[in-house]
Amino acid sequence: MTRMKFYCDDYRCIDCNGCVVACKEAHEIPVGVNRRRVITINEGIEGKQKSLSVACMHCSDAPCQKVCPTDCFYIRTDGIVLHDKDKCIGCGYCLYACPFGAPQFGHEGIFGVKGVMDKCTFCAGGPDDTLSETEFEHYGQNRIAEGKIPMCASMCSTKALIAGDASEVDKIYEYRTAKRGGNTSLKPYGWEAYNNGK
Amino acid sequence: MESKTFWECNKAYILTALGLGVVGFVFVGFMMIMDWGYLIQYTMHMMIGDTSGVLTAPASELEQMVNAAFGPAYNSVAPEIIRASNERQEYIWYVFFAEIMIFVFLYVKNGRLTPTITRPDDMVQVLTPFQRTVIWLNIGMILMLVLTGFNITWSLRSDGGDLPRLLREFHELTGLAWIGVWLVFTVIAAKDLKGWRKNTLFRHILPGSFKPSKRVIWFFYAAMGAGLCFSGAMIITLHPSSLTHADVIQFRRVLLYLHFGASVLIMFFILDFVYASAISVKGYLKGLWTGSYPREYLEQVAPDVLEDLKKAGRQ
Ligand code: HEM
Ligand code: SF4
Ligand code: SF4
Repeated sequence: MTRMKFYCDDYRCIDCNGCVVACKEAHEIPVGVNRRRVITINEGIEGKQKSLSVACMHCSDAPCQKVCPTDCFYIRTDGIVLHDKDKCIGCGYCLYACPFGAPQFGHEGIFGVKGVMDKCTFCAGGPDDTLSETEFEHYGQNRIAEGKIPMCASMCSTKALIAGDASEVDKIYEYRTAKRGGNTSLKPYGWEAYNNGK
Repeated sequence: MESKTFWECNKAYILTALGLGVVGFVFVGFMMIMDWGYLIQYTMHMMIGDTSGVLTAPASELEQMVNAAFGPAYNSVAPEIIRASNERQEYIWYVFFAEIMIFVFLYVKNGRLTPTITRPDDMVQVLTPFQRTVIWLNIGMILMLVLTGFNITWSLRSDGGDLPRLLREFHELTGLAWIGVWLVFTVIAAKDLKGWRKNTLFRHILPGSFKPSKRVIWFFYAAMGAGLCFSGAMIITLHPSSLTHADVIQFRRVLLYLHFGASVLIMFFILDFVYASAISVKGYLKGLWTGSYPREYLEQVAPDVLEDLKKAGRQ
């Protein structure tokens, strides 16, 4: 069964932020909201600087879905985690629960308090009519419905960021790691890192 | 005889400590999944100004990346937040039901004191316009905060949408406004500070003195209110931003948990206050509006208030 996943190769990412800009541009994301961000460690230290592009990981057993008091999340059969902005009350609990800091909040509430949640949709829109204007206004483009991959991955110049079916992504990860002479049994980042602290 | 007097003097404190001790022990010992060791060490780190939650230097590049991108030690606090949100939604009805049952039991056991008023025209001015303004603001805002706050807790029942979202936004705004009202009310209700009344800042302290049970309520109102104001204001101030996320997320998780806990505790003591001032004795709500109470009402229900007014030369 298809399960859509992102993978960012920290050996390739050059902190150009092309993915961040592509995402903001494609979905007309307001200032202050970043569905995707790039994190860099050891900046300026030769051989040690590493960057990673992060957005919603579309978790299989999504903690955001577990915590949401309005139960506005749903997981598509292809594993993409989406939410319904018409139900969301902007409480922010998904952000507390998300291991990856994906949920975002603009200041569009009354007197500038935080409004409803916004996050990466894997460019798959939301519960509104597919490819409708409302869907675009709420969630941005629905590139998956158009048979395209997410904008960020398609724009990534070094192909550090890849997106698609988990088994295909896994093959690319293993191929690249083996080619580098790395250990393919180690997972790159995510749950494993939390659980082992390694 | 000695011990009976001691018991009588300290009954309210002992029962409160026992009740909270038992509930706290069961809760912390058997029901919570929080990593307490981490939380204690983390609190100490926060005291020296480091909110990041990174307690030990990362052992690997991967761990360093995780800390920088997502924040550290996910499993120590976040799963508790998820669980607590869900369980509050499901079980808090039973907690409130049990609390109300405590008061029903007390009512059945102790009955109600209904003062006899034969001279309704003999009124005593007790509350100044300033005190009444603060009291009404406090009542209004607490009602609003409880309604809008538990609107979040139970939004599975409301199904979310525009109205619950608006109410939630009002919770944040009312909360910010309540900080001032909470502070002023805490001061004016601090009857134990009566010696300070000559000071211009403190002279609005309410007349009368605290009975132990009311002193406990005041203490929890002050302490839980402080917890709610601090956690609420910090949650709002540390607005989630993708750039600062890893530095503050652990702190925000702890703050939300503090807010959960303080809101449940303050609710119990608010219920206790309503019981003590309007159910176990017949209340005189009009007095809160006009500021004056029948002399006989005060003689029978709150002689200390009359006494205090006399001492202050207002009688
Ligand atoms: C009597 C006082 C208060 C009560 C009873 C109360 C109650 C609550 C409750 C029940 C929740 C929802 C928790 C849940 O999910 O179950 C909540 C959330 C929250 N409260 Fe309060 N609260 C009070 C005061 C405040 C104050 C003073 C502030 C701000 C200064 C505040 C800000 C917040 C915030 C920021 C949230 C999280 C939801 C959000 O981000 O909008 N609250 N409160
Ligand atoms: S928002 Fe966070 S918890 Fe939810 S699916 Fe995305 S990465 Fe997972
Ligand atoms: S902010 Fe919205 S999506 Fe997130 S937990 Fe609250 S209601 Fe659910």
